[in-house]
Amino acid sequence: MWAYILRRLAYNVPVYLSILLLVMLALRVRDPVFGRLPKNATTADIAQKRVELGIDRPFHQQFGSQLKQVATATFDEISWDYPGQTVGEVMSRCIGPSLSITLPSLVLTTLFSITVALISAWFRGRALDKGLVFVAVLGMSVSFLVYIIFGQYYGAYKLNEWLGYDVFAIYYNPEVSNAGWGEFFTSVWPRYYLLPVLISVVVAMGYDTRFYRAVMVEESARDYIVTATAKGASQSRIMFIHMLKNAMIPIITRVVITIPFLITGSFLLESYFGIPGMGNQLIVAVESGDFPIVQSFTAVFAAVYIASNLLTDVLYALVDPRVRLS
Amino acid sequence: MTNSSSDSRALRKFLRHKPAVVASFIIAAYAVVAMLLLFTNMITMDDTLQRVGPETIPGFSSVQNPEKRLEDAEWLLDRIDTLAGREDPRAALDSFRDLGVRHVAEIPIEDLQQRVEEGWEIYDRLAEVEDLTAAVNGTLNSPDAPTGEVVLADLQQLELKLDELLAPMTAKEKSTRWFEMLFGTDRQGRSIFYRSVYSIRVAVLVGLITGLLSVTIGTIAGLLSGYFGGWVDNLITWLYSTFASIPNIVLLILLAFMFDGGHIDEPLNRWTGGLLKWLIGGRLDETLIPVYIAFTATFWIGPCRVIRGETLKIRELEYVQAATVMGFGRTRILLRHILPNVTYLMLINFSLLFIGAIKSEVILSFLGLGVKKGPSWGIMISQSKVEVINGFFWQIGTATVLMFFLVLAFNVLSDALQDVLDPKHV
Repeated sequence: MWAYILRRLAYNVPVYLSILLLVMLALRVRDPVFGRLPKNATTADIAQKRVELGIDRPFHQQFGSQLKQVATATFDEISWDYPGQTVGEVMSRCIGPSLSITLPSLVLTTLFSITVALISAWFRGRALDKGLVFVAVLGMSVSFLVYIIFGQYYGAYKLNEWLGYDVFAIYYNPEVSNAGWGEFFTSVWPRYYLLPVLISVVVAMGYDTRFYRAVMVEESARDYIVTATAKGASQSRIMFIHMLKNAMIPIITRVVITIPFLITGSFLLESYFGIPGMGNQLIVAVESGDFPIVQSFTAVFAAVYIASNLLTDVLYALVDPRVRLS
Repeated sequence: MTNSSSDSRALRKFLRHKPAVVASFIIAAYAVVAMLLLFTNMITMDDTLQRVGPETIPGFSSVQNPEKRLEDAEWLLDRIDTLAGREDPRAALDSFRDLGVRHVAEIPIEDLQQRVEEGWEIYDRLAEVEDLTAAVNGTLNSPDAPTGEVVLADLQQLELKLDELLAPMTAKEKSTRWFEMLFGTDRQGRSIFYRSVYSIRVAVLVGLITGLLSVTIGTIAGLLSGYFGGWVDNLITWLYSTFASIPNIVLLILLAFMFDGGHIDEPLNRWTGGLLKWLIGGRLDETLIPVYIAFTATFWIGPCRVIRGETLKIRELEYVQAATVMGFGRTRILLRHILPNVTYLMLINFSLLFIGAIKSEVILSFLGLGVKKGPSWGIMISQSKVEVINGFFWQIGTATVLMFFLVLAFNVLSDALQDVLDPKHV
């Protein structure tokens, strides 16, 4: 297995290098200097700014220094938008808020959608199953942004008005980032993060439920189910012991595949609610042309993405003895 | 799948799937509207940008609260009053286009000013009432307050006066006006009906062009990669692994930003002697080129990966080997024996990408990287943020409902296509 992992890693080296290259080239289509100087800047000012930002160097040198940062995992380049802060500092500041949303969302979505999928598979072909599938498709047909806008209007604005008490905060308050751990879990998280989490659970439920239901329905047609039924096992035993265990393989795959998106955060949720997470920060950096942040963030995302793809395959082999890594 | 009997079997199976048939009709209806918008002047871009009346008017001629009615009356009185006071009042009034198809009455300026004056008198009376809604409901607790009937009568009289300021409408104008105001107006007084219907054009354009391009590129790459193997396979796998290892939305934002503002497509267009503009331009809207490119560069990976896998499988089947033994050329085998067996995947993927394109357009437009000229559902939904806070749902509602039916139809269609053509798929 180690040979397999090493071979896969080696195979991904050119892929990873080309990702770094692609991102750096895509950014350099636009000159970042002009947005950072006043209108009446002289040629000397522009040249000086170039030196300051380090983009006067030939491209291969810039690529080299980026590569060095990635290889040593020390993101010590100074962000252009936040003078005095290294990219690593910005990253460690942003990762907390992102995980505060994505981690609970992933856990809740997976638990809820497996439950609903089991119910749906249990009543397969009957009205309840058809109804649930239909609701899932309906839910998938509405834009994420609409969920967010109405979620905020009813969840934060109207609910607070009806109860006469601010259950959820509408916008993120920067002061809460100084809260201690205890305070974070008792007052900050429920007030600032619970609503975005609920919205993202509702949005993701449709997709996940449909997928898990399809997995269960496929499992339920297998021979071992027939055998278990024939030897007289109860239906609940078949569903929860026999079927769920086998259905775990695709479920685990799907959960592991979403790991990179824990780190990227939810772009739309973060930028709508003004949550200073990774996704929001990346969008801001792309728009303002903060090269160090965009380059290092995407480098980290891609590394985690490749790693979790590899992890999926390895886990697959560990869980299912029929799968051989070759 | 190649011979006609299995094709018609798939078709019969599809036709038995009633929701899918309904979905096809819905998609066809949207396509017809999109074609009408593209090739006729049914609704023009100017219609969607032009004010047609006071702001945030609710649709379906719903009853509004008295305060809003008074506010709208004030808006019109004020406009006409100002215009009538200009040096050349007639010309000013004739160029007044903020009421859609409605025009100011063709009467002598003195008469017009007289009517405006009468309007202001009633307005002043109503403006003095402390709480109009309470007054109408008769819940105003004050001995000398006007009764509900008086206030309502005043309001109606004011609105009648306003109607007299405007030219009577012909039957055709009346029906146009009905459509203009059907779903109300947005925060800039623009017709929500025009904007939301016109957005069908953008949605169908983006879905169709990026869907077709992505599926075509993905299919060619997947076929070549799966059939030839070797360095071709290595190259294409490396290329799609690279694109696939950047989270989809990050890649989309990065590419949209890269192409935004004509930094690449304009030089490219000059360099190719206007080829790009000739291919995508005019009716296909060259302002959407950055969106088309960003979406295609992101979306081709899906079909490429699936079709490569399928080609790898088909390549080893007996009939392909038989064709090879019979000495058929590789191009012929690829086009005659393999391509027809992956067309179902092309169809399913196109349907899925269409949904992806419409939904991604909303996200990009929210981030300011999407549609630049004219309305789209994404722009309408993003703009309605402020309206929703004020409890006005007509813009977000109309855009969402129109988008919902199209996406739902494609969702149902994709499911049915998958059931009929690819039953093994989970």
